[in-house]
Parts: sequence; C-alpha cells; structure tokens
Amino acid sequence: MNGCILILVALGLSIVFGLMGIINFAHGVFYMLGAYAGWLTVQLTGNFWLALVTAPAAVGLLGALVERGVLKRIYGTRNANFAGVLVTYGLAIMIPDLVRMTFGRPGKPFAMPAILTGSLFQLGATEVHGYRVFILLVTAALLPLLWLLLNKSNLGLVIRAGTSDNLMVQLLGINVARTWTITYALGAALAGLAGVITAPLVAVAPEMGGLVLIECFIVTVVGGMGSFLGVVAGGLLIGETLALTGMLYDVFADVVIYLAMALVLLVRPRGLFGQEGMSEE
Amino acid sequence: MRGLLLAGLVLGTAPLYADYTPFYLGLLTEVLVFGLFALAYDVLLGHAGVLSLGHSAFVGVGAYATGLLLARRLAPLEPSLLAGAVGGLLTSLILGLLVLRKRGVYLAMLTLALSQVFYYVVLMWTPVTGGTDGLGNLPILTLSEPLGWRLSKHPVTRYYVVVTIVFVAMLVIRHLLRSPLGRVMRAVKANETRAAACGYDTRRVRLAAFAISGFFSGLAGALLTVVLEFVPIENIHWQMSGTVLIMTLFGGTGTMLGPFIGAGVFIWMRDFLSKYLEYWEVFVGGAFVLIVLFFPEGIVGTLTGLLGRRRAAPAAESGAQPIEPEALVRRRTEGGDGEACLLESHGLSKTFGGLTAVNAVDFQVRRGELRSVIGPNGAGKTTFFNLLTGVLPSSGGRILFKGRDITRLPAHAVSRLGIARSYQVTNIFGDLSVFENVRIAAQSRVTHYRFWGHADRLAAVNERAQEILRHLGLTGKGDVRGAELSHGDQRYLEIGIALATDPDFLLLDEPTAGMSPEETRRTAAFVRRLAGHVTVVVVEHDMEVVMGISDRITVLNYGEVLAEGTPAEIRANPDVRRVYLRD
Repeated sequence: MNGCILILVALGLSIVFGLMGIINFAHGVFYMLGAYAGWLTVQLTGNFWLALVTAPAAVGLLGALVERGVLKRIYGTRNANFAGVLVTYGLAIMIPDLVRMTFGRPGKPFAMPAILTGSLFQLGATEVHGYRVFILLVTAALLPLLWLLLNKSNLGLVIRAGTSDNLMVQLLGINVARTWTITYALGAALAGLAGVITAPLVAVAPEMGGLVLIECFIVTVVGGMGSFLGVVAGGLLIGETLALTGMLYDVFADVVIYLAMALVLLVRPRGLFGQEGMSEE
Repeated sequence: MRGLLLAGLVLGTAPLYADYTPFYLGLLTEVLVFGLFALAYDVLLGHAGVLSLGHSAFVGVGAYATGLLLARRLAPLEPSLLAGAVGGLLTSLILGLLVLRKRGVYLAMLTLALSQVFYYVVLMWTPVTGGTDGLGNLPILTLSEPLGWRLSKHPVTRYYVVVTIVFVAMLVIRHLLRSPLGRVMRAVKANETRAAACGYDTRRVRLAAFAISGFFSGLAGALLTVVLEFVPIENIHWQMSGTVLIMTLFGGTGTMLGPFIGAGVFIWMRDFLSKYLEYWEVFVGGAFVLIVLFFPEGIVGTLTGLLGRRRAAPAAESGAQPIEPEALVRRRTEGGDGEACLLESHGLSKTFGGLTAVNAVDFQVRRGELRSVIGPNGAGKTTFFNLLTGVLPSSGGRILFKGRDITRLPAHAVSRLGIARSYQVTNIFGDLSVFENVRIAAQSRVTHYRFWGHADRLAAVNERAQEILRHLGLTGKGDVRGAELSHGDQRYLEIGIALATDPDFLLLDEPTAGMSPEETRRTAAFVRRLAGHVTVVVVEHDMEVVMGISDRITVLNYGEVLAEGTPAEIRANPDVRRVYLRD
C-alpha cells in the first residue's frame, strides 16, 4: 500500500478516535465506497477529475448519515465505546455484501486518466510513474490544509477541546453533536478520497476495505493514535517498509510491518508521537 | 443444576430422534464446538470486560497444533487435542502480555492486528501448514486403546465424544467463573480502579482471564479439526474473531447458555439463510447492528429479562446506623502504638505538565492518630491522596509506610501493605451486589488467584463481609446492586469496602460529601470512633467536622503545607485564618 494513501486513510481513523473514542471499523468500507463512487462517476461522466470531488463528497455525506442514524443512538449508553466498535463492525460486514448485490461480485477496472499514465522520468534504476507523483502531490497539498483545519480553525479547536474534555466543551454551550457529525463525515470523506485515488492502481472490489483497515491500525499504533504528526510519520514508515520489503522479498512485506508494530508496543506503547494516556481508556 | 441436567439429557439423546441425518448431526456437533469457542470468548468479554478481536489466533493455533500432530502422525488423538488447547493458551499469553498495558477499544484493535501475525505465519509457511490450501492428510481418527472407537465416518460416535468434551469443558469453565479468581475477574470488569485499590493486580487478573479464554478457545480449535478432519486457513483468519464475537453477542454475554444459542443461530443463518439468499451477510451484519443497538443483552439475556426473573428490590429500610466501629476494624499488626511514625512523606511532589499540584510535602502521621487534611479547592488534597495510594506516580520525594519505602509501588501493592482509601466521588462496584462489594474486598486478604473451589464457600470471608454490612446498617440490602443504593448508603458502602481489606491506615476523601446535616453528624462521630482502632487521614471541607474530630490538622495551600497543628493551633494560626478560614 502506498504510504501517502495510508496517511490519508489513517488520518480519518485517528481523528474519529481522538474525538469520539470510537475505533471506526466501517472506515475500510468508506474507503471501498469511495472507490466505487469514483468508478460510478467516471462511468457516467467519463471525468476522472470530477470523481476526485464526488467520491469524498458522497462518502462524507454517507458518513454523516451513519453518524446521525446509527452512532447517535449509542452515545451516553454504558460501554458506548465498545458499542461503537460493534456497530461499525456490523456495518463493515453488511455494506460489502450490499455492494456485491448492487454491482456484482467481480471487481471493476478503473482506467487511469491518460495524462497521468506512463513513466514521468527516470530516477536511478526505477521509473517514476506520473500517477505516483500525482498521489504525492495530492497528499502534499492536502496535509497542510488538514493541519490548518485541525489546529488553527474554530472547528479544530472544538475537536481538540472535545478530545480532552468532552463534557466541559458541552457545558460551554458549544454544539458538540454537530462537531461529531462533521468529524465523522470528515473521516469518512478522507477514506473516500483515498479510495478513489487508489482505484486506478487496483481493481475496485467490495473486499478492498478489509486489508487497508488493518494497515491503518498498524499505522496509528506505530505513529501514535490521535496524533497528526504520528499518523504522517507512521504512514510513511509503514508504507515505505511495505514497498521496500516488497521489492526484496514479497511474502515478508506483511510480516515485517506486524513485527514493527509489536516492537513499538513493547518499547514505546503510546507510539512514536502519541500522547500519554490517549489510548488507556 | 437442573438446567445442566436438562441440557445433558437433550444433547445425550439427540441422535435418537427419529428424523436425524448425519448432516444435521454434523451441524449440531459444529454448533457445540462453536458454542464452546463462544463461551471461552465470553470468559474474557462477559466476565472480565475485555473486548478481544484476536481470538482467531487462539482457535487457529489450536486447530493447527492438533492438525499438525495428527497429520504428521506425531501423537495419538488425545494428546493432540490437549496440545491444541495448550497452543491456544500460549498464544493468549503472548498476545495478552503485549496488549494488557492498553485498555478498551484500543486493546481490541491491537488484538486484531497482532492476531494477523499468526495468520501470515501460517500463510507463508506453506511446506508445514499447507498455506492457502489448508492442512489436510489427517489419519483416520480413533481414540486410543482401551476404547479404540473410530471417529472418522462415524458421526454418532464423533458426536458423543465431542459432546462429552464440550460438556466437561463447560463444567470446568463454570467452576472457574465461580472460583475466587472468577469473582475477582468480575470485580475488575465492574470497576478496575476499585479492584486495584482492594489489592488486586488487575493486569494479572486480566492476563489470567486471557489464559483461560485462550486455553478453551484452543480446545475448540482442536475439536474443530476433529470435526472437519481438515484445517482450513479461514480458521486462523481475523474474520473468525468477528464470527465468535457475533455469536457471543447474539446469544448474550455473561451467561452459560447464551454462547451456545448464539452459535446455533449463526450457523443456522450461515447454512439455511445462505441457501435462499446469496447475500446473507447483509442479514448477519444487519441483525448484529440491531442486537447491539436494541438488545445489548442478546437473545438469552433479553428473554430472561422478559420472563421477569430479575430480583425484586428488597424493601429494606434506609438510614444506616453504624453501631460499633470497633467490630469493623481488624488490626493486622499488634503493638507499635505510641510515637511510631506509621506513614511519612518527604519532599513529595507531583507536577502535571507545568502545573505543580503537590509541592515538596513533608507529612508524618503517627499510629492511632486522626489527621485532617484541609485546604481550599485545588490545594492538591486529592492528588496527595493519589500519590500516597500509588494511583499516581510521584514526580519527586519519598513515601515511607511502617518505615518501608513505598514510593514506586502500584496501587494494588500499596493496598496489600495495609493502606485503604475511600473516594471523593463514590467509587464502588456498581454492577455487583452490595454483599459482593464488601466480600470481594475481604477476599483480597485471603486469596487473589485461587481458581478452584467456590468463592461463596470461603467461610471467613463471608463472615467478615456479613459483619461489616451489619455494622454499617446495610444487612438488609446485601442483594441490591451497588448502583441502586441511595447516596448516603453508597458513602457507607465505600467505607465498608475500604475497611474490609483490614487496613492499618485509612484515607477518607470527603466522607461527608453530599450528606445531609444529620448524616454528616453521624458520619463524623463514626469516623471519630473508627480512629480509636485504625489510623485515619481525612480530607474534609466541613470545618465543624474537622475541628470536632481531628487530633491534628494539616493545611495545604497551592500544593504546599501551610500549617500543621492541633485544631486549637490551626484556629489561632494567622496564616490559615488569612488564606483559608477568612473570618
């Protein structure tokens, strides 16, 4: 998996966990749905660039609906965080089958836009493909925007304040319910965007969310759950490790990242950039 | 017991019913094996409060261990089954040691990610495990002599063997859950902080729960190999963890029957629903979401609730009337009265980031003393208590108890040395009965990890718990859930839990918080009389109480000791009057 794409998906997971304390098992599904939304857009309009907008928008909207319709019911109940995991896990079982029902079992080919196909230039022994550079540029453009949104905007302030003391933020009269909806939708939209960007590299299939979800878990564990910098560092580290070991010895790639995670857990349980106590509750 | 006999009878005669076919019998065998797996899973979820998504590793290692021993003709059937269970046990210990520093959903995520390591090992190690093709080539399965029964192609024999093993395993699990250790697991689930304050090493208790769960999951995996006579790689894939989670929640956590019902429903959905519906997972997932949202107690829990088997609340009178504090206190050590310093701190400090909450506090309490700690809000009183009891690590300084350095000890170790506390915000085992609240605290003086014998048969512990309830005026309410008590009663229960650990040193954090003037007066008198038998340090805001009961008073302000002395001295101290009393 590409490090940049991992960062985008894992950021969504991390933001939602940071604010809501929920490990969103439906996150991989949102990623998959992003790819399908993009595929549908290209089928209907033939415009890849439009898909980059419609996919995150559609998945973000769906995220908001899931939050309002399903997750809202568990807030404030006993073991709400457990219930959040369970409910989103149920969705993660349901939705891929719904997608199979609608679009059929086989994967869908997703053509790369012509302008990005082929190799751009030679870097040493490897050819640098246009599409890889495109992914890098998108991520590089998006990360500062997201950082500003989370760290400098009013919304970001509420999200971060809500992370450290939810009740207090509510007592201050801030509409936390709306913030949660927006946060969850934002997380979903990020996954959706990552999904549509990945689509040309792989076949669009209902199962594509499962693996990326677990890789995101590893990224957040290594980088530190709830930390922006941690996710970026973790995403690059895991993505590059996968790429490098994959080049050397394919079957080892997966195992190496799991061992990396186990090592981080033993040596620095909160992750490279994690805050103390973040993951204790 | 009647339920067990009935279940035994039904299962024992199942093959005799007229229209059975080997297919259905095979299905029933599978339901039993998955029921055992779900029950093992529920030991962790329903009884210890740990959500694991790593059980695919336990069941998978069990299945492969048994499969490998059999396929390579390394061992007869029985030792191979045992090896499967032990494989599950070892896997659970590895996983448990790695994740137990974390809690809640984050722990769940870790177990899932780590369990995949085992999947990849199996996937890659094709020469041994068969990789994606699964592990086959099993011999004809027969029990060893003298029985020598053949299981392969004999579904009825196989059924009876599996039923017997599952039934025995179920009895063992039931026994474990009722043992002293099983009760401690429930206490840790109900309130981990409080369990630690009672002297229980909660991390080890949860590790023990992991081990029990792992052993029986491994056994279920071993049986799965016997039932299928093949080990598909799906057995160790993480979706297996999801499957067992769904089964357990379908049936209902915290019950013996629930996991088996859940396994039955799931396998029925898988085998019959999928005949008519290609996309049956939509229904499984949907049903799962609905169960979590609307029937969190599962099928069995919801039905039991509907049948009204819940206890009616006893009509006991309110108004605790502590009679004899003398009987509430049991000294651990005799002698040592007089001038001996029981607890002292030297330069004790705690900083949170840039904020110094407790600053170089020197503090000495003599044995038998009643000391009050007062100070304005935010003076660091509760933080100071948390440092003394090992809840928070100190940033500097030392704490000595009976001359022994306890600065770095965790909460449970501090409790075992004889320091008990009550909390400012009521902190009891809300889900446990009032009696069990006190019983579990008293049990810590006798045993922590004993996994045999019935916890209710620890006579000395029961007597002690009864005695404490009696003297707190809570006898009639022993069966009520802690959370259902009135506020005043909860405050007394709070003190009862602390006293049940037989402390030498008792810290009470605002014992009269939220009490009426009458209750406050009674509690103050109670604390004063307690102090004749155990050394007490009280944090209190009610100045009348403080002045009335204390031997000495320590005044904290901005984390520092402002003054210390007898009530008269404190009353006369100009600094205290200026900063705190303001009169």
